[in-house]
Amino acid sequence: MKVSAIRQALLLIALAFVPAIGEAIYFRDRVSWRSPDRSSEMVNLDQAQSWGANAIWVDARPDNEFEQGHVPGAIPLNEDRWNELLPTLLAQWSLEKKIVVYCSSQSCNASREVARRLRDEAGLKEVFVLQGGWETWLKSKR
Amino acid sequence: MNTNLLIGIVALTALAQEARSELKWEQTSVDLKPALGDKQAVAHFKYENVGNTPIHFESVHASCGCTTAQTQNEQVAPGQKGEITATFNIGGRTGTQVKTVTVRTDDPNPAHSTTVLTLKAVITPLLEIQPTLVYWQNGEEPKPKIITAKANKDAAIKKLDVVSSVPDFTAKVDAGSAPNEFKISVQPRDTTKAVYATLTIKPDSPANTGNTFAVAARVMPPAPTSGTAITPSTKATVSTVRHDLVTPAPTAASPRQ
Amino acid sequence: MDLIVGGIFIYAGVIKAVAPLRFAIDIDNYKMLPWAIGVRLAFYLPWLELVCGIALILRFFYRGGLLILTALTFIFIAASIIAKVRGLDITCGCFGHTSKNWSFTAHLALDFAILITLIALWVSSRAQQREL
Repeated sequence: MKVSAIRQALLLIALAFVPAIGEAIYFRDRVSWRSPDRSSEMVNLDQAQSWGANAIWVDARPDNEFEQGHVPGAIPLNEDRWNELLPTLLAQWSLEKKIVVYCSSQSCNASREVARRLRDEAGLKEVFVLQGGWETWLKSKR
Repeated sequence: MNTNLLIGIVALTALAQEARSELKWEQTSVDLKPALGDKQAVAHFKYENVGNTPIHFESVHASCGCTTAQTQNEQVAPGQKGEITATFNIGGRTGTQVKTVTVRTDDPNPAHSTTVLTLKAVITPLLEIQPTLVYWQNGEEPKPKIITAKANKDAAIKKLDVVSSVPDFTAKVDAGSAPNEFKISVQPRDTTKAVYATLTIKPDSPANTGNTFAVAARVMPPAPTSGTAITPSTKATVSTVRHDLVTPAPTAASPRQ
Repeated sequence: MDLIVGGIFIYAGVIKAVAPLRFAIDIDNYKMLPWAIGVRLAFYLPWLELVCGIALILRFFYRGGLLILTALTFIFIAASIIAKVRGLDITCGCFGHTSKNWSFTAHLALDFAILITLIALWVSSRAQQREL
Protein backbone atom coordinates (compact mmCIF):
# COMPACT_ATOMS: atom_id res chain seq x y z
CA MET A 1 0.00 0.00 0.00
CA LYS A 2 1.73 3.09 -1.22
CA VAL A 3 0.07 5.60 1.02
CA SER A 4 2.43 8.39 1.92
CA ALA A 5 3.52 8.84 5.50
CA ILE A 6 1.72 12.15 5.75
CA ARG A 7 -1.55 10.66 4.61
CA GLN A 8 -1.15 7.82 7.08
CA ALA A 9 -0.44 10.34 9.80
CA LEU A 10 -3.56 12.28 8.94
CA LEU A 11 -5.64 9.14 9.04
CA LEU A 12 -4.24 8.21 12.42
CA ILE A 13 -4.95 11.70 13.68
CA ALA A 14 -8.53 11.38 12.50
CA LEU A 15 -8.84 7.89 13.96
CA ALA A 16 -7.75 9.05 17.38
CA PHE A 17 -10.60 11.56 17.42
CA VAL A 18 -13.18 8.84 17.76
CA PRO A 19 -12.29 7.52 21.22
CA ALA A 20 -11.24 11.00 22.29
CA ILE A 21 -14.64 12.45 21.55
CA GLY A 22 -16.32 9.46 23.14
CA GLU A 23 -14.34 10.03 26.30
CA ALA A 24 -15.02 13.74 26.26
CA ILE A 25 -18.73 13.04 26.06
CA TYR A 26 -18.47 10.63 28.96
CA PHE A 27 -16.66 13.21 31.07
CA ARG A 28 -18.56 16.20 29.78
CA ASP A 29 -20.18 17.10 33.06
CA ARG A 30 -17.19 16.31 35.17
CA VAL A 31 -14.72 18.59 33.55
CA SER A 32 -14.59 22.35 33.48
CA TRP A 33 -14.18 23.18 29.80
CA ARG A 34 -13.58 26.86 29.99
CA SER A 35 -11.52 27.61 33.04
CA PRO A 36 -9.25 25.62 35.33
CA ASP A 37 -10.99 23.13 37.50
CA ARG A 38 -11.45 23.95 41.14
CA SER A 39 -10.53 20.53 42.44
CA SER A 40 -7.64 22.15 44.25
CA GLU A 41 -10.15 23.97 46.43
CA MET A 42 -10.52 20.97 48.73
CA VAL A 43 -8.69 20.93 51.99
CA ASN A 44 -8.67 18.20 54.60
CA LEU A 45 -9.38 18.74 58.27
CA ASP A 46 -5.77 18.53 59.42
CA GLN A 47 -4.58 21.11 56.95
CA ALA A 48 -7.45 23.43 57.77
CA GLN A 49 -6.81 23.15 61.48
CA SER A 50 -3.10 23.78 61.01
CA TRP A 51 -4.00 27.25 59.74
CA GLY A 52 -5.09 28.07 63.26
CA ALA A 53 -6.23 31.63 63.73
CA ASN A 54 -5.68 32.42 60.08
CA ALA A 55 -8.64 30.29 59.10
CA ILE A 56 -12.16 31.67 58.97
CA TRP A 57 -14.67 28.83 59.20
CA VAL A 58 -17.86 29.28 57.21
CA ASP A 59 -20.90 27.09 57.75
CA ALA A 60 -22.90 26.73 54.54
CA ARG A 61 -25.72 24.70 56.07
CA PRO A 62 -29.30 25.87 56.65
CA ASP A 63 -29.94 28.01 59.75
CA ASN A 64 -31.53 25.27 61.84
CA GLU A 65 -28.56 22.95 61.33
CA PHE A 66 -26.16 25.73 62.25
CA GLU A 67 -28.08 26.35 65.45
CA GLN A 68 -27.95 22.72 66.44
CA GLY A 69 -24.18 22.77 66.35
CA HIS A 70 -21.32 24.22 64.40
CA VAL A 71 -17.57 24.60 64.45
CA PRO A 72 -16.77 27.05 67.26
CA GLY A 73 -16.35 30.50 65.83
CA ALA A 74 -17.82 29.55 62.47
CA ILE A 75 -19.75 32.20 60.56
CA PRO A 76 -23.03 31.08 59.02
CA LEU A 77 -23.36 31.82 55.33
CA ASN A 78 -26.02 29.93 53.42
CA GLU A 79 -27.77 30.61 50.17
CA ASP A 80 -31.17 31.02 51.80
CA ARG A 81 -30.04 34.23 53.46
CA TRP A 82 -27.01 35.03 51.36
CA ASN A 83 -27.47 38.81 51.21
CA GLU A 84 -28.12 39.11 54.94
CA LEU A 85 -25.27 36.92 56.07
CA LEU A 86 -22.54 37.90 53.64
CA PRO A 87 -21.65 41.29 55.23
CA THR A 88 -20.65 39.60 58.50
CA LEU A 89 -18.11 37.46 56.70
CA LEU A 90 -16.81 40.34 54.60
CA ALA A 91 -16.33 42.44 57.72
CA GLN A 92 -14.11 39.79 59.29
CA TRP A 93 -12.11 38.81 56.27
CA SER A 94 -8.63 40.07 55.59
CA LEU A 95 -6.00 39.18 53.05
CA GLU A 96 -3.99 36.76 55.13
CA LYS A 97 -7.03 34.75 56.18
CA LYS A 98 -8.03 31.49 54.58
CA ILE A 99 -11.71 30.73 54.34
CA VAL A 100 -12.79 27.15 55.02
CA VAL A 101 -16.35 26.43 53.93
CA TYR A 102 -18.09 23.31 55.16
CA CYS A 103 -21.50 21.75 54.98
CA SER A 104 -22.97 18.41 55.80
CA SER A 105 -22.75 15.61 53.29
CA GLN A 106 -26.54 15.44 53.50
CA SER A 107 -26.94 19.00 52.29
CA CYS A 108 -26.75 19.60 48.62
CA ASN A 109 -23.57 21.00 47.07
CA ALA A 110 -23.87 23.94 49.45
CA SER A 111 -20.24 24.38 50.49
CA ARG A 112 -18.94 24.31 46.93
CA GLU A 113 -21.61 26.79 45.81
CA VAL A 114 -20.85 29.13 48.68
CA ALA A 115 -17.11 28.85 47.96
CA ARG A 116 -17.72 29.55 44.29
CA ARG A 117 -19.84 32.61 45.02
CA LEU A 118 -17.26 33.97 47.42
CA ARG A 119 -14.65 33.66 44.72
CA ASP A 120 -16.74 34.89 41.81
CA GLU A 121 -18.84 37.59 43.46
CA ALA A 122 -16.71 38.87 46.29
CA GLY A 123 -13.41 38.26 44.53
CA LEU A 124 -11.90 36.46 47.52
CA LYS A 125 -8.94 34.32 46.67
CA GLU A 126 -8.08 31.87 49.44
CA VAL A 127 -11.37 30.03 49.68
CA PHE A 128 -11.41 26.32 50.43
CA VAL A 129 -13.96 23.57 50.94
CA LEU A 130 -13.57 21.16 53.83
CA GLN A 131 -13.24 17.59 52.66
CA GLY A 132 -15.72 15.41 54.49
CA GLY A 133 -17.59 18.42 55.84
CA TRP A 134 -19.28 18.74 59.20
CA GLU A 135 -19.27 14.98 59.74
CA THR A 136 -15.50 14.81 59.57
CA TRP A 137 -15.17 17.57 62.12
CA LEU A 138 -17.65 15.85 64.44
CA LYS A 139 -15.75 12.60 64.17
CA SER A 140 -12.52 14.29 65.12
CA LYS A 141 -14.10 15.50 68.32
CA ARG A 142 -14.83 11.98 69.54
CA MET B 1 -56.20 -21.40 15.03
CA ASN B 2 -57.01 -24.13 17.51
CA THR B 3 -58.60 -23.71 20.91
CA ASN B 4 -55.44 -24.64 22.80
CA LEU B 5 -53.55 -21.79 21.30
CA LEU B 6 -56.42 -19.48 22.06
CA ILE B 7 -56.52 -20.63 25.68
CA GLY B 8 -52.76 -20.20 25.87
CA ILE B 9 -52.95 -16.66 24.61
CA VAL B 10 -55.74 -15.75 26.99
CA ALA B 11 -53.82 -17.29 29.88
CA LEU B 12 -50.67 -15.41 29.03
CA THR B 13 -52.53 -12.14 28.74
CA ALA B 14 -54.16 -12.82 32.08
CA LEU B 15 -50.76 -13.50 33.64
CA ALA B 16 -49.43 -10.32 32.17
CA GLN B 17 -52.20 -8.45 33.88
CA GLU B 18 -51.26 -10.00 37.18
CA ALA B 19 -50.13 -7.65 39.98
CA ARG B 20 -48.98 -4.86 37.78
CA SER B 21 -48.69 -1.67 39.63
CA GLU B 22 -47.20 1.33 38.04
CA LEU B 23 -47.07 4.99 38.72
CA LYS B 24 -46.84 6.90 35.49
CA TRP B 25 -45.39 10.37 35.60
CA GLU B 26 -46.47 13.06 33.20
CA GLN B 27 -43.06 14.66 33.57
CA THR B 28 -40.12 13.84 35.79
CA SER B 29 -38.30 17.04 34.99
CA VAL B 30 -39.78 20.50 35.19
CA ASP B 31 -38.19 23.78 34.11
CA LEU B 32 -39.26 26.88 35.92
CA LYS B 33 -38.66 30.55 35.32
CA PRO B 34 -39.68 32.33 38.50
CA ALA B 35 -40.66 35.95 38.03
CA LEU B 36 -38.65 38.78 39.50
CA GLY B 37 -39.31 39.09 43.18
CA ASP B 38 -40.76 35.59 43.56
CA LYS B 39 -39.70 34.00 46.80
CA GLN B 40 -40.57 30.48 45.70
CA ALA B 41 -40.70 28.37 42.60
CA VAL B 42 -43.29 25.62 42.57
CA ALA B 43 -43.25 22.55 40.35
CA HIS B 44 -46.10 20.12 39.95
CA PHE B 45 -45.26 16.54 39.11
CA LYS B 46 -48.42 14.78 38.02
CA TYR B 47 -48.77 11.04 38.32
CA GLU B 48 -51.34 8.39 37.61
CA ASN B 49 -51.57 4.83 38.80
CA VAL B 50 -51.90 2.90 35.56
CA GLY B 51 -51.60 -0.44 37.26
CA ASN B 52 -54.20 -2.53 38.97
CA THR B 53 -52.94 -2.49 42.54
CA PRO B 54 -52.75 0.50 44.85
CA ILE B 55 -49.44 2.26 45.32
CA HIS B 56 -48.23 3.63 48.59
CA PHE B 57 -45.66 6.41 48.86
CA GLU B 58 -42.93 5.32 51.23
CA SER B 59 -40.92 8.50 51.15
CA VAL B 60 -40.78 11.77 49.32
CA HIS B 61 -37.48 13.36 50.00
CA ALA B 62 -35.88 16.51 48.62
CA SER B 63 -32.15 16.80 47.93
CA CYS B 64 -31.73 19.78 50.19
CA GLY B 65 -33.39 21.83 52.89
CA CYS B 66 -34.40 24.61 50.55
CA THR B 67 -36.93 22.43 48.77
CA THR B 68 -40.00 20.85 50.33
CA ALA B 69 -42.11 18.27 48.57
CA GLN B 70 -45.56 17.01 49.32
CA THR B 71 -47.79 14.46 47.79
CA GLN B 72 -51.51 14.94 47.46
CA ASN B 73 -52.34 11.45 48.64
CA GLU B 74 -50.33 8.86 50.52
CA GLN B 75 -52.06 6.03 48.76
CA VAL B 76 -52.92 5.98 45.07
CA ALA B 77 -55.66 3.65 43.96
CA PRO B 78 -55.56 2.10 40.51
CA GLY B 79 -56.64 4.68 38.01
CA GLN B 80 -56.27 7.49 40.50
CA LYS B 81 -54.33 10.62 39.60
CA GLY B 82 -52.51 13.06 41.79
CA GLU B 83 -49.46 15.23 41.99
CA ILE B 84 -46.39 15.90 44.01
CA THR B 85 -45.78 19.55 44.64
CA ALA B 86 -42.19 20.61 45.06
CA THR B 87 -41.65 24.04 46.53
CA PHE B 88 -38.24 25.53 46.11
CA ASN B 89 -37.42 28.42 48.41
CA ILE B 90 -35.21 30.63 46.34
CA GLY B 91 -33.60 32.59 49.14
CA GLY B 92 -30.49 34.36 47.92
CA ARG B 93 -29.82 31.96 45.10
CA THR B 94 -29.18 33.02 41.55
CA GLY B 95 -28.49 31.46 38.21
CA THR B 96 -29.55 27.97 37.20
CA GLN B 97 -30.58 25.95 40.20
CA VAL B 98 -31.25 22.23 39.99
CA LYS B 99 -33.01 20.50 42.85
CA THR B 100 -34.23 16.93 43.02
CA VAL B 101 -36.93 15.08 44.88
CA THR B 102 -36.52 11.34 45.37
CA VAL B 103 -39.77 9.43 45.55
CA ARG B 104 -39.94 5.87 46.85
CA THR B 105 -43.01 3.74 46.51
CA ASP B 106 -43.92 0.20 47.43
CA ASP B 107 -43.94 -0.85 43.80
CA PRO B 108 -42.55 -4.41 43.77
CA ASN B 109 -40.70 -3.72 40.56
CA PRO B 110 -37.35 -2.25 41.63
CA ALA B 111 -37.06 -0.41 38.35
CA HIS B 112 -40.14 1.62 39.21
CA SER B 113 -39.97 1.92 42.96
CA THR B 114 -37.66 4.92 43.01
CA THR B 115 -38.18 7.98 40.87
CA VAL B 116 -36.07 11.12 40.87
CA LEU B 117 -38.00 14.26 40.06
CA THR B 118 -35.96 17.21 38.88
CA LEU B 119 -36.80 20.84 39.28
CA LYS B 120 -34.72 23.31 37.31
CA ALA B 121 -35.17 26.99 38.00
CA VAL B 122 -33.43 29.85 36.25
CA ILE B 123 -33.23 32.78 38.58
CA THR B 124 -32.24 36.18 37.35
CA PRO B 125 -31.85 38.59 40.21
CA LEU B 126 -33.06 42.14 40.11
CA LEU B 127 -29.46 43.32 40.21
CA GLU B 128 -26.28 41.42 39.51
CA ILE B 129 -23.50 43.07 41.41
CA GLN B 130 -19.85 42.47 40.96
CA PRO B 131 -17.77 42.52 43.04
CA THR B 132 -19.61 42.50 46.34
CA LEU B 133 -16.51 43.60 48.19
CA VAL B 134 -14.12 46.42 47.43
CA TYR B 135 -11.15 47.01 49.65
CA TRP B 136 -8.05 49.08 49.98
CA GLN B 137 -4.92 48.07 51.74
CA ASN B 138 -3.81 50.24 54.58
CA GLY B 139 -1.82 53.08 53.07
CA GLU B 140 -2.88 52.27 49.50
CA GLU B 141 -3.67 55.27 47.34
CA PRO B 142 -7.37 56.07 47.92
CA LYS B 143 -8.34 55.81 44.27
CA PRO B 144 -11.97 55.00 43.44
CA LYS B 145 -12.86 51.39 42.71
CA ILE B 146 -15.71 50.39 40.46
CA ILE B 147 -18.59 48.06 41.19
CA THR B 148 -20.66 47.01 38.21
CA ALA B 149 -24.37 46.50 38.71
CA LYS B 150 -26.33 44.83 35.91
CA ALA B 151 -30.06 45.30 36.18
CA ASN B 152 -32.57 42.72 35.06
CA LYS B 153 -33.95 44.10 31.82
CA ASP B 154 -37.53 43.30 32.79
CA ALA B 155 -37.21 45.49 35.84
CA ALA B 156 -36.97 48.84 34.10
CA ILE B 157 -34.55 50.26 36.64
CA LYS B 158 -33.74 53.84 35.89
CA LYS B 159 -31.45 54.67 38.70
CA LEU B 160 -29.70 53.34 41.76
CA ASP B 161 -29.38 55.03 45.11
CA VAL B 162 -26.26 54.11 47.01
CA VAL B 163 -25.83 55.03 50.66
CA SER B 164 -22.84 54.26 52.80
CA SER B 165 -23.26 53.25 56.42
CA VAL B 166 -20.34 55.43 57.45
CA PRO B 167 -19.18 58.76 56.00
CA ASP B 168 -15.66 57.45 55.33
CA PHE B 169 -16.71 56.21 51.91
CA THR B 170 -18.36 58.08 49.07
CA ALA B 171 -20.26 56.41 46.28
CA LYS B 172 -21.18 57.80 42.89
CA VAL B 173 -23.41 56.12 40.35
CA ASP B 174 -22.94 56.47 36.60
CA ALA B 175 -24.45 54.76 33.61
CA GLY B 176 -22.49 51.74 32.51
CA SER B 177 -21.22 50.77 29.08
CA ALA B 178 -24.24 48.61 28.30
CA PRO B 179 -27.96 49.26 28.67
CA ASN B 180 -29.26 48.37 32.13
CA GLU B 181 -25.74 48.59 33.47
CA PHE B 182 -24.56 50.91 36.22
CA LYS B 183 -21.10 51.71 37.46
CA ILE B 184 -20.79 52.51 41.13
CA SER B 185 -17.63 54.33 41.94
CA VAL B 186 -16.55 53.92 45.59
CA GLN B 187 -13.83 55.95 47.20
CA PRO B 188 -12.46 56.04 50.74
CA ARG B 189 -11.59 59.35 52.33
CA ASP B 190 -8.29 58.03 53.53
CA THR B 191 -6.67 54.66 53.88
CA THR B 192 -4.72 55.13 57.06
CA LYS B 193 -7.18 53.60 59.43
CA ALA B 194 -9.27 50.44 59.15
CA VAL B 195 -12.90 51.06 58.28
CA TYR B 196 -15.78 48.80 57.40
CA ALA B 197 -18.84 50.08 55.58
CA THR B 198 -21.97 48.55 54.15
CA LEU B 199 -23.09 50.27 51.00
CA THR B 200 -26.82 49.88 50.56
CA ILE B 201 -27.95 49.91 46.95
CA LYS B 202 -31.58 50.72 46.33
CA PRO B 203 -32.88 50.34 42.80
CA ASP B 204 -35.87 52.42 41.77
CA SER B 205 -38.17 50.05 39.99
CA PRO B 206 -41.87 49.32 39.91
CA ALA B 207 -41.02 45.66 40.43
CA ASN B 208 -38.94 46.47 43.45
CA THR B 209 -40.75 45.91 46.70
CA GLY B 210 -38.26 47.46 49.04
CA ASN B 211 -35.47 45.15 48.00
CA THR B 212 -32.04 46.52 48.70
CA PHE B 213 -28.66 45.09 47.99
CA ALA B 214 -25.52 45.46 49.99
CA VAL B 215 -21.87 45.49 49.16
CA ALA B 216 -19.02 45.85 51.57
CA ALA B 217 -16.31 48.48 51.39
CA ARG B 218 -13.29 48.27 53.59
CA VAL B 219 -10.01 49.81 54.39
CA MET B 220 -7.98 46.92 55.71
CA PRO B 221 -6.14 47.11 58.99
CA PRO B 222 -2.37 47.48 58.75
CA ALA B 223 -0.62 44.18 58.04
CA PRO B 224 -0.23 42.28 61.30
CA THR B 225 3.23 42.59 62.84
CA SER B 226 3.19 40.59 66.07
CA GLY B 227 0.46 39.05 68.16
CA THR B 228 -1.84 37.61 65.54
CA ALA B 229 1.10 37.93 63.19
CA ILE B 230 2.12 35.48 60.58
CA THR B 231 5.14 34.42 62.53
CA PRO B 232 7.91 32.70 60.58
CA SER B 233 6.75 29.31 61.83
CA THR B 234 3.19 29.94 60.65
CA LYS B 235 4.57 31.10 57.32
CA ALA B 236 6.50 27.87 56.99
CA THR B 237 3.39 25.87 57.82
CA VAL B 238 1.44 27.89 55.30
CA SER B 239 3.92 27.25 52.50
CA THR B 240 4.31 23.56 53.26
CA VAL B 241 0.58 23.25 53.52
CA ARG B 242 0.18 24.79 50.07
CA HIS B 243 2.67 22.28 48.74
CA ASP B 244 0.72 19.49 50.38
CA LEU B 245 -2.40 20.83 48.79
CA VAL B 246 -0.92 20.39 45.35
CA THR B 247 0.17 16.78 45.68
CA PRO B 248 -2.56 14.97 47.63
CA ALA B 249 -5.35 16.69 45.74
CA PRO B 250 -4.39 15.16 42.37
CA THR B 251 -4.10 11.66 43.78
CA ALA B 252 -7.46 12.10 45.34
CA ALA B 253 -8.87 13.41 42.10
CA SER B 254 -7.45 10.85 39.71
CA PRO B 255 -8.99 7.40 39.66
CA ARG B 256 -6.92 4.53 40.91
CA GLN B 257 -4.58 3.79 38.04
CA MET C 1 12.34 -2.37 18.71
CA ASP C 2 8.98 -1.34 17.30
CA LEU C 3 7.41 -3.40 20.02
CA ILE C 4 9.27 -1.58 22.75
CA VAL C 5 8.70 1.91 21.47
CA GLY C 6 5.11 1.14 20.47
CA GLY C 7 4.57 -0.39 23.87
CA ILE C 8 5.93 2.68 25.61
CA PHE C 9 3.49 4.92 23.80
CA ILE C 10 0.58 2.60 24.34
CA TYR C 11 1.41 2.57 28.04
CA ALA C 12 1.82 6.34 28.14
CA GLY C 13 -1.43 6.78 26.22
CA VAL C 14 -3.44 4.50 28.48
CA ILE C 15 -2.13 6.06 31.66
CA LYS C 16 -3.26 9.47 30.49
CA ALA C 17 -6.47 8.38 28.84
CA VAL C 18 -7.82 7.05 32.13
CA ALA C 19 -7.20 10.32 33.94
CA PRO C 20 -7.87 13.12 31.50
CA LEU C 21 -8.46 15.69 34.16
CA ARG C 22 -5.11 15.01 35.78
CA PHE C 23 -3.47 15.29 32.40
CA ALA C 24 -5.30 18.57 31.72
CA ILE C 25 -3.86 19.96 34.93
CA ASP C 26 -0.39 18.79 33.93
CA ILE C 27 -0.68 20.47 30.55
CA ASP C 28 -1.89 23.62 32.24
CA ASN C 29 1.18 23.60 34.48
CA TYR C 30 3.34 24.32 31.45
CA LYS C 31 1.46 27.60 31.14
CA MET C 32 1.85 27.60 27.40
CA LEU C 33 -1.73 27.07 26.37
CA PRO C 34 -5.02 28.47 27.62
CA TRP C 35 -6.99 26.03 29.73
CA ALA C 36 -9.76 25.64 27.16
CA ILE C 37 -7.28 24.30 24.60
CA GLY C 38 -5.26 22.32 27.09
CA VAL C 39 -8.25 20.44 28.41
CA ARG C 40 -9.33 19.40 24.92
CA LEU C 41 -5.81 18.25 24.13
CA ALA C 42 -5.83 16.30 27.37
CA PHE C 43 -8.71 14.25 26.03
CA TYR C 44 -7.25 13.85 22.58
CA LEU C 45 -3.49 13.32 22.87
CA PRO C 46 -3.49 10.13 24.92
CA TRP C 47 -5.61 8.44 22.29
CA LEU C 48 -3.34 9.68 19.56
CA GLU C 49 -0.37 8.17 21.37
CA LEU C 50 -2.23 4.94 21.88
CA VAL C 51 -3.34 4.68 18.27
CA CYS C 52 0.16 5.44 16.99
CA GLY C 53 1.70 3.00 19.44
CA ILE C 54 -0.60 0.31 18.09
CA ALA C 55 0.25 1.41 14.57
CA LEU C 56 3.92 0.75 15.31
CA ILE C 57 3.34 -2.67 16.76
CA LEU C 58 0.88 -3.86 14.14
CA ARG C 59 2.86 -2.21 11.37
CA PHE C 60 -0.31 -0.59 10.19
CA PHE C 61 0.14 2.98 8.96
CA TYR C 62 3.59 2.49 10.39
CA ARG C 63 5.34 5.48 8.96
CA GLY C 64 2.45 7.82 9.67
CA GLY C 65 2.49 6.71 13.27
CA LEU C 66 6.24 7.17 13.45
CA LEU C 67 5.91 10.66 12.06
CA ILE C 68 3.34 11.71 14.61
CA LEU C 69 5.14 10.19 17.57
CA THR C 70 8.38 11.82 16.57
CA ALA C 71 6.67 15.18 16.27
CA LEU C 72 4.95 14.72 19.65
CA THR C 73 8.14 13.71 21.39
CA PHE C 74 10.02 16.61 19.89
CA ILE C 75 7.38 19.13 20.91
CA PHE C 76 7.23 17.64 24.34
CA ILE C 77 10.98 17.85 24.87
CA ALA C 78 10.95 21.45 23.71
CA ALA C 79 8.08 22.32 26.03
CA SER C 80 9.82 20.68 28.99
CA ILE C 81 13.00 22.63 28.39
CA ILE C 82 11.14 25.89 28.00
CA ALA C 83 9.20 25.24 31.18
CA LYS C 84 12.36 24.42 33.07
CA VAL C 85 14.06 27.54 31.81
CA ARG C 86 11.06 29.60 32.97
CA GLY C 87 11.49 28.05 36.37
CA LEU C 88 8.18 26.21 36.39
CA ASP C 89 7.91 23.17 38.59
CA ILE C 90 6.72 20.51 36.23
CA THR C 91 5.82 17.03 37.29
CA CYS C 92 6.15 15.38 33.95
CA GLY C 93 2.79 14.38 32.58
CA CYS C 94 4.21 11.95 30.08
CA PHE C 95 3.96 8.84 32.18
CA GLY C 96 1.28 10.16 34.43
CA HIS C 97 2.18 10.14 38.03
CA THR C 98 4.05 6.91 38.09
CA SER C 99 7.15 8.78 37.07
CA LYS C 100 6.64 11.70 39.35
CA ASN C 101 9.62 10.93 41.48
CA TRP C 102 12.15 10.96 38.68
CA SER C 103 14.42 13.92 38.23
CA PHE C 104 14.14 16.30 35.37
CA THR C 105 17.31 15.09 33.72
CA ALA C 106 16.24 11.48 33.93
CA HIS C 107 13.02 12.38 32.16
CA LEU C 108 14.80 14.39 29.54
CA ALA C 109 17.29 11.60 28.93
CA LEU C 110 14.50 9.07 28.47
CA ASP C 111 12.66 11.36 26.08
CA PHE C 112 15.77 11.98 24.03
CA ALA C 113 16.39 8.26 23.86
CA ILE C 114 12.84 7.76 22.62
CA LEU C 115 13.27 10.52 20.07
CA ILE C 116 16.47 9.04 18.74
CA THR C 117 14.92 5.60 18.54
CA LEU C 118 11.97 6.97 16.63
CA ILE C 119 14.25 8.72 14.19
CA ALA C 120 16.29 5.57 13.80
CA LEU C 121 13.15 3.57 13.07
CA TRP C 122 12.12 6.16 10.55
CA VAL C 123 15.44 6.04 8.78
CA SER C 124 15.47 2.27 8.66
CA SER C 125 11.93 2.13 7.34
CA ARG C 126 12.82 4.55 4.59
CA ALA C 127 15.78 2.39 3.74
CA GLN C 128 13.48 -0.63 3.62
CA GLN C 129 11.06 1.23 1.41
CA ARG C 130 13.80 2.04 -1.01
CA GLU C 131 14.76 -1.58 -1.20
CA LEU C 132 11.26 -2.52 -2.22
